[in-house]
Amino acid sequence: MNTSVLLQRVGQVDPTRLEDYVAHGGFDALRRALLRRPEKVVEEVKASGLVGRGGAAFPTGVKWEAVARESRTPKYVVCNADESEPGTFKDRVLMEGDPFAVLEGMAIAAYATGASEGYIYVRGEYARAYTLLRSAVDQATQAGFLGDAILGSDFSFHVHIYRGAGAYVCGEETALFESIEGKRGQPRQKPPFPTTHGLFGQPTVINNVETLANVPPLILNGAEWFRSLGPEEAPGPKLFSVSGAVNKPGVYEATMDVTLRELIEEYAGGVRDGGKVQAVLVGGAAGTFVGPKDLDVPMSFSGLRRVGASPGSGAVMVVDERVNMWDVLLRIARFFAHESCGKCYPCRLGTQRQLEIVTRMASGALRYKDFLRLQDLHATMRDASLCGLGQTAGNAIISGLKVMGMGMSDD
Amino acid sequence: MHVIIDGQRVPVSPEMTILEAAEQVGIHIPRLCVHESLTPQALCRLCVVEWEGARTLVPACVARVQDRAVIHTQSERVRRARRTILELLASTVDLSEAPELLAYAEEVGADLERFSDGERLTFPVYDDNPFYVRDYNKCVLCGRCVQACGDDMQFTYALTISGRGFHSRVDTFYHLPMPQTTCVFCGNCVAVCPTGALKAKEELLLEEGLSPEAIWQRKREEKRAWYKER
Amino acid sequence: MSDIPWEQVDAVIARWAPRGRAGLLPCLEEVQSITGWLSPEVSRRIAEGLKVPLADVFGVITFYGLLYDRPVGRFVVRVCDDVSCFINGSREIVDACRSYLGVEPGETTPDGLFTLETHPCLGRCERAPFMMVNELEFGPITPQDVPRILEEVRKSGAGQEEEGV
Repeated sequence: MNTSVLLQRVGQVDPTRLEDYVAHGGFDALRRALLRRPEKVVEEVKASGLVGRGGAAFPTGVKWEAVARESRTPKYVVCNADESEPGTFKDRVLMEGDPFAVLEGMAIAAYATGASEGYIYVRGEYARAYTLLRSAVDQATQAGFLGDAILGSDFSFHVHIYRGAGAYVCGEETALFESIEGKRGQPRQKPPFPTTHGLFGQPTVINNVETLANVPPLILNGAEWFRSLGPEEAPGPKLFSVSGAVNKPGVYEATMDVTLRELIEEYAGGVRDGGKVQAVLVGGAAGTFVGPKDLDVPMSFSGLRRVGASPGSGAVMVVDERVNMWDVLLRIARFFAHESCGKCYPCRLGTQRQLEIVTRMASGALRYKDFLRLQDLHATMRDASLCGLGQTAGNAIISGLKVMGMGMSDD
Repeated sequence: MHVIIDGQRVPVSPEMTILEAAEQVGIHIPRLCVHESLTPQALCRLCVVEWEGARTLVPACVARVQDRAVIHTQSERVRRARRTILELLASTVDLSEAPELLAYAEEVGADLERFSDGERLTFPVYDDNPFYVRDYNKCVLCGRCVQACGDDMQFTYALTISGRGFHSRVDTFYHLPMPQTTCVFCGNCVAVCPTGALKAKEELLLEEGLSPEAIWQRKREEKRAWYKER
Repeated sequence: MSDIPWEQVDAVIARWAPRGRAGLLPCLEEVQSITGWLSPEVSRRIAEGLKVPLADVFGVITFYGLLYDRPVGRFVVRVCDDVSCFINGSREIVDACRSYLGVEPGETTPDGLFTLETHPCLGRCERAPFMMVNELEFGPITPQDVPRILEEVRKSGAGQEEEGV
C-alpha cells in the first residue's frame, strides 16, 4: 500500500524554515507528548509495533522502555544519521527535505526516556543534510522547541551535531559511540547494550533517522492508526530506496506488504530500456540477492525470509541483464574489505581474502577450491565476527553466486 | 545455578565467564587476545563457542554464564570458525614463535597454507632502541601491547593501531621511531606479546648466537650512547 | 611550517578543548578544512590542546577515510563506483576523470590541485552516476560532462560553494 506519511512534507516545505514546518503541523506531536506522562508516550510507541528502520528491526518502544527504566543520568538520545549502506539514501532525503521532523522525533524520545542530551551523527559525505540540521537545531532552540524548559514545561533537551569522517562501520551503534567519544570507530562487544551502557557509558536510546521521523505522526495519530498501516508483523510506513537499472530511481514510501515487483515496476517505472531483471540486491551490500523468479515476495520480514533475505535498510538495487554480475560482486567484496574496521580477526582477514578470491573469479578463473574457501569465509565471518559488518560481509557474495546458478549445497 | 558445557553439568556463579566456567571442569577453550592483566577485547574470536539458541557464536572470554545455558566448545560450527581463523592468521603472519596457536591449528585440522596465495603484509624489523625490537611480521594484532602501554598498565600511550581493516597495524605517532615517542621502555608490551613480535634485545641477540658476554658488552655500549644522546 | 594559519587552527582547537577527547573528531575535521591535511605538527597541536595522547590522535586520523595524514589536492574528486553507480556507468566517469587529470585513483595531480578517488557508495543512488568535488555534488553525469565540470572547478580556484549540475 502506498502511504504518504514520512514524505508528506518533503518537497512541500522549505527545509530551511522552522515556520514552514510549524505551519504544516510541525511540533504538534511534541506538544501533545508533553501533555502526557513519559511512560504513556513509551506505551504508545510500544503499542504501535514500530521497529527500527536502520536495518536491525528492533522494537523501538522496547528500547525506549529499557532506557526509561534506568535511573543513572545523564541519559542520551542519539540519532544515527550515518547512512552508509550502499544503495540506501532514504535518510538523506528525509534530512534534506524535512529536517525538523527528525528533531521532533528526538525530542519526544528524550521526553519519554528522561534524556537530557541529544546527538545527531551525520554521515560525513552528507554536507547538505548537516548544514540543514545545524540550522534546524539553532532555529528550534531559539523558538523553544529544544533547549531549556521546552514549550514552558520543565523538560530540557540539548542537541549536538557530529559529522562522520568516512567509515561505514560507524553506522554500527557502538562504533558510532566510540567515534563521538573521539576514538577509532570500532564496535564494542555487546552486551552490555546501549540501553544501559551507550554513549559515554550512559543509558542511551539510539534510533535511525527514519525511525525517529515515524515518531511524530505516530504520536499525533495514535498506535491504532499506525497498526492499521501495512502487515501485522511490521506496521507503519516504510521508505524504500530503489536504484540501479530502473527508469525512476528514488525513495518511495509504502507499507511493508509491498512486493519487490511493485517497487520496481510500479514505483520505480520498471527496468530501463525495457530490459529484464537479472538480480535484485535487497538490503544493501549487507543484504541478499534475490533472483527474477522471486520478485513477487512482499518486503516484510516473513515474506523476504522465504527467499533467504530481509528488508534491512530498505535498499533495493536492481541489476538488469546488461550488467556483468561479477563486476557487481567485485564491488561488494571491495566495499567490505575497504570498510572492515580491522578489530576482529574473521572480518579483518576474511574480507580481504574474500576480495582476492572474488577478484580472481571475476577475471574468469573459476576454481572449485575457491568456492569452498568462500563458503568457509562466509560461515566464519557470519558466526564469529564481532559486529554486524563482518556477520553480513559474505551474504551478498554467496547469494549472488546462487542467483548466477553457482550456489553450493551447504550455504 | 549451572550450565551444561559439552554435556557436563558445571556449577557456576553469575559473574563467571564461559571461559572460567569451562576451566573449572578442565575444558580448555583456545584463546589468544585475552590476558589476565588486561581488559578483554574479544577480538581474536578463537574462543567462540556455540550457545544453544544464540544467533551467532559467542566469545567465551567475555560472555557471562546464564543459568541452564547449553554450550558446545567443539561443535562443527565452532571448529569451522576456529579453523578458518587460524588459516587466515597463518596466511599473513609468521606464527613460528606462537606454539600455542600451532597446536590449536593442529587440533582443529587447519591447513596453514590454505590462504597463502593472498596478499601478505610485510614490515621491516624495527630495531630503533637498545631495549627491544619490533617485528610486525609476527604481529597478530591482538592489541595487548597497546593496552599495556595505555590504560591497562603503564599510562604511557606511545602505541596505537593505525589504518583500518586488513591494513591495520600497531604504530606510533606518524610512524616515529620509539625513542621519539612517549615510550619509557618499561617492557610491559614485550611481556604481554604472545607471538614474539616484540622481543627484548638480549633474547634476540642470544637467538642470533651471540655469547652472553658479547651481548652484555654490546648492550652496555648501546645504552651508554643512548643516555649520552638524551 | 610558516604556511599553516596557526591563528585559525588555534581558534578551532580552543573551541573544542573544553570537550576534551569528545571534541577530537570535529576538531580534526574543522582543522583539516583549514589546512587541507593533518600534518604531524598540526596533529601534535590538536593532541596537546585537547589533551589526547599523540598516538591516539594518529590512530583516529588513519581510521577515517575523509581524514588525511598526507597532503591531498585542493580539490578531492570522489567518484562513486559502488553498485548503483556502476550499473549506471561509473566506470566511464572514473576513466574520464583519469584521462582529464592524468592521474590514477589515489593520486594527486602534480600541480597539487586535484586528488582523484573512487569512493564507496555516496548515498546519491537516485543521481547515479554521481561524483563530488569537495562538497559540490554532480549527478547524474555523463563522461562528456567531466572535463567541463573539472575545468570549472579549476577556474573557480577557491572552490567556493556552487550549485551542482
